[in-house]
Amino acid sequence: MFRSAAILLALLCTGPVLAQHDSTARTVAIEQVEIAGVRPMKEIGVQRTVLDSAILRENISSSLADALSSGSTLFIKSYGRATLATASFRGTAPSHTQVTWNGMKMNSPMLGQVDFSLIPSYFVDDASIYHGASSVGITGGGLGGAITLGTKEPDAQGFSMRYVQGVGSFTTFDEFLRLSYRGERWSSSTRVLVSTSENDFRYRNYDSKQFVIGADGQISGDYYPLQRNRNGAFRDLHLLQELYYTSRQGDRFSLAAWYLDTDRGLAMLSSDRNTTREKRNSQTERTLRAVVSWDRLFGGLKAGVRAGYTYDDLRYLMESDPDGLGNFTPITDARSRIHTFFARAEAEYAPNERWMFAANVSAHQHRVHSGDLSLIDATSGRRADTLYRQQRFELSAFASAKWRPVPRLGIAADLRWELYGNRTTPLIPALFVDWLLARRGNVVLKASAARNYRYPTLNDLYFQPGGNPDLDPERGWTWDTGIESSLKNSRSSLRLSATAFDSRIDDWILWIATAKQGVYTPINIRRVHSYGLEGKLAASTVTSGGWRLLFDGNLAWTRSINRGDKFSEADESVGKQLVYIPVWSAACTARVMWRRWELSYKWQWYSERFTMSDNNLGVLGRVAPYLMNDIALEKSLEFRHLDLSIKGCIYNLFNEEYQSVLGRPMPRLNAAVFIGITPKFGKR
Amino acid sequence: MNRWTSKLLWGLVLLAGACMEYGPQPEEAFDRSGRGVFITCEGNFMWDNASLSYYDPRTREVENNVFLRANGMKLGDVAQSMALHDGKGYVVVNNSGVIYVIDPATFRITGLIEEVVSPRYIHFVDEQTAYVTDLYDPRIAVVDTRTNRIRSRIDMNGHRSTERMVQVGSRLFVNCWSYDNKILVVDTETEQLVDSLTVGWQPNSLVLDGNGKLWTATEGRDGEAPALWRIDPATLEIERRFDLPSANPPSKLALDARNNRLYFIARDVWRMEADAESLPAVPFLPYTGTLYYGLGIDPDTGEVYVADAIDYVQHAVVYRFTPEGGAVDTLRVGITPGSFCFKQR
Repeated sequence: MFRSAAILLALLCTGPVLAQHDSTARTVAIEQVEIAGVRPMKEIGVQRTVLDSAILRENISSSLADALSSGSTLFIKSYGRATLATASFRGTAPSHTQVTWNGMKMNSPMLGQVDFSLIPSYFVDDASIYHGASSVGITGGGLGGAITLGTKEPDAQGFSMRYVQGVGSFTTFDEFLRLSYRGERWSSSTRVLVSTSENDFRYRNYDSKQFVIGADGQISGDYYPLQRNRNGAFRDLHLLQELYYTSRQGDRFSLAAWYLDTDRGLAMLSSDRNTTREKRNSQTERTLRAVVSWDRLFGGLKAGVRAGYTYDDLRYLMESDPDGLGNFTPITDARSRIHTFFARAEAEYAPNERWMFAANVSAHQHRVHSGDLSLIDATSGRRADTLYRQQRFELSAFASAKWRPVPRLGIAADLRWELYGNRTTPLIPALFVDWLLARRGNVVLKASAARNYRYPTLNDLYFQPGGNPDLDPERGWTWDTGIESSLKNSRSSLRLSATAFDSRIDDWILWIATAKQGVYTPINIRRVHSYGLEGKLAASTVTSGGWRLLFDGNLAWTRSINRGDKFSEADESVGKQLVYIPVWSAACTARVMWRRWELSYKWQWYSERFTMSDNNLGVLGRVAPYLMNDIALEKSLEFRHLDLSIKGCIYNLFNEEYQSVLGRPMPRLNAAVFIGITPKFGKR
Repeated sequence: MNRWTSKLLWGLVLLAGACMEYGPQPEEAFDRSGRGVFITCEGNFMWDNASLSYYDPRTREVENNVFLRANGMKLGDVAQSMALHDGKGYVVVNNSGVIYVIDPATFRITGLIEEVVSPRYIHFVDEQTAYVTDLYDPRIAVVDTRTNRIRSRIDMNGHRSTERMVQVGSRLFVNCWSYDNKILVVDTETEQLVDSLTVGWQPNSLVLDGNGKLWTATEGRDGEAPALWRIDPATLEIERRFDLPSANPPSKLALDARNNRLYFIARDVWRMEADAESLPAVPFLPYTGTLYYGLGIDPDTGEVYVADAIDYVQHAVVYRFTPEGGAVDTLRVGITPGSFCFKQR
């Protein structure tokens, strides 16, 4: 590993020799700062975080989980690259963060959550995070919030190509290619990303010792072994095709189709004493998402329709061979096939500068077929009846009115109604207010409140065994208030915001054991009160010497407290923080740019996370605070026919030995180098 | 550089590079000879948080995490069961694929049995031989207890999910739980499967009473009631079947050998005489809001230990009762205590 780092540094040091001017490789730009008083009508009172393009385009190896960790106040629970990464937004569960891609829901209709490790950040052109009540404008059920992801037309006119190759520690390879064309009417973009890794990093296993055993079976010594991450290899393939057409009349059509094919090993727990020839776990997934859309402006009216389709084929396979010969037989073979059809119609109307109205309706039809194919009913010799086939129609209707009676004040009201299967949620209302407190510094006060509902997932209702068809929707009530300010002069800009939030969720769905051994069932039981503070700071400046300095940071204090009734007299979880949700989290990225050089430094911190609901502080009751430092140096070069960039990254700079989730050791210092090539097709 | 700048810089360095506290665990010396109760706490599947608790019924002191504290390493994922034999403790850790052999006084590891993918229970056939059942392997592993190595495996004719074992003479009885309905019979002399008996859906327990009768508890399914079954091990005849309401399947069948009584959990905790001809009308311990998860009877005193896992993510409680049902003690143990192992004098 150290040798890899040395090679990397040597490569970086050769950079200056090749230094030339490059105008296209650079993607980082100082964020646009809104001019005081011009606040979009659509944004009245809305708490929204836009993920900076510098964060999304940091590396081809980065997933949206990485981008959200460093660029927002969301807590991402993950135990390494290419492993399940779920979000906790304002102290809520993963299923309380709703995610859309080009307007179509991404949350699994079976599980309710999104695995952010499966979304390459290079495939996302627009990512916005809507906090709390602001999510009502996007979709229902976002008790924590919502994230919208989108693709957009390529910026550069004519034909463009960019190829990036990454080579990293643990035999990791990433290849990215984007071919794009933008003409007067037509645009096209094709993106391909292939990532493979042995992911067999070495770690000192402090969870399970190695024993020196004599021929008589007696132990004569023990030590903490230096061992490799087992069964963590992965292969991801992503393909994204987009087409755009704009008619002379102003009709805009688009098609975006994204196919992903992954085969990931699920690394063994550090205490697992099986060998990789005795047991292996893997998860394969093939997903196709496609959305076509049309929209057009008719004076003050904007209208649009969308249609989409998602096919998801998931397989979790666990195999064993007790003889250790590698002749595996399945012991769990859980498969799910999901078809989702999507349609949406939307309209926005702004009759004048004071009023704006919006309405939309979205429909999703899910067809799910899921079960464990490995289970055999020994009484019949046939496959056990664990399969469920379900269809569900979901409809979400939305209307909003936004009013700015005076330039300083904005008021907005949203109303949403949702139907799932043959049930409906009560009306979901949300109210928003903003007030321009001071033009100097563009100081804006914002407040919002909403009642929200999240209906149960298909697994909650129908999973075999254990599904509970009588579940009610989870009920949320949330409000927040905040202040934000932005300052700008010709050289520098500063934007900062602070928000306080308070949410209560009743009938939180929790899976608990049943009287049948090994069978769990969901019930509406928990009440959770989450509240906290979020702060953001973005600053940039250009010195007279041509140095450009950028800083982007965020900080969150989140209490997510169980306010439910005691399960029994002995229950000590009431009044305590929910498991795996940090009270404190912070992240910042600092960048220094000079001529064709860019140095970036990322720092991330989570306070300790409890792993027991009674917030016990023993070895098994907590994960120690997490502190991570990454550094990267990039050099851009310009040649006659192409632009070249070379970037070296060092992760876990201080070579920490750590776990982010119990039993899941993480890689120590490791490195990667990326080379980007951008040919100049007729643009010299 | 002034004093404050220097302090700020040092603060930043500490903030950036503070250690994340993952390293060797200190080892503690224990010496708990005499009577005691081991409680295996399963933890949560794939959370790597199983633990072993130890309770001294005389002093009423409970020590949690004794395996980790004595050995400086974790027990692993899903501690399923524990047995004592020949002065050694055998802790079966299901999803870690290992049985740790420990000194029951110091809790230190003295050996380990590996090459078992998903072990559930261990039974000692004689001084040199132990059998290990498995959740997924349709074979019982035969262990040489002198070397802790797998000596052979007994084919179960495709029946996976072998569970508890009871031996009568040279015949060993084993219940097949997951998606099965069989009690299998193994000849311990030839180490072969020799017979089987069909009972109800998913038999989850197996005990031998003082009258020499086998008892099992089945979970039932559509069209079939959960039930307790009394079986004659010599003839494999079902002598009696006690049906229970479908919402209350019985589990965790345990024997009070001293008083020849059976205990089981079926929402409430129930007790019945081994030669009773009907189910009891009144529970030994009524349901109070959470499902009881574990049950153990002290073979020396007939005292009853009942575990409440609460929400399955916190320190569970274990209630200790006299054989008459009088409350004696309440102890906090690890997460999801599933089984008890009694260290006798």
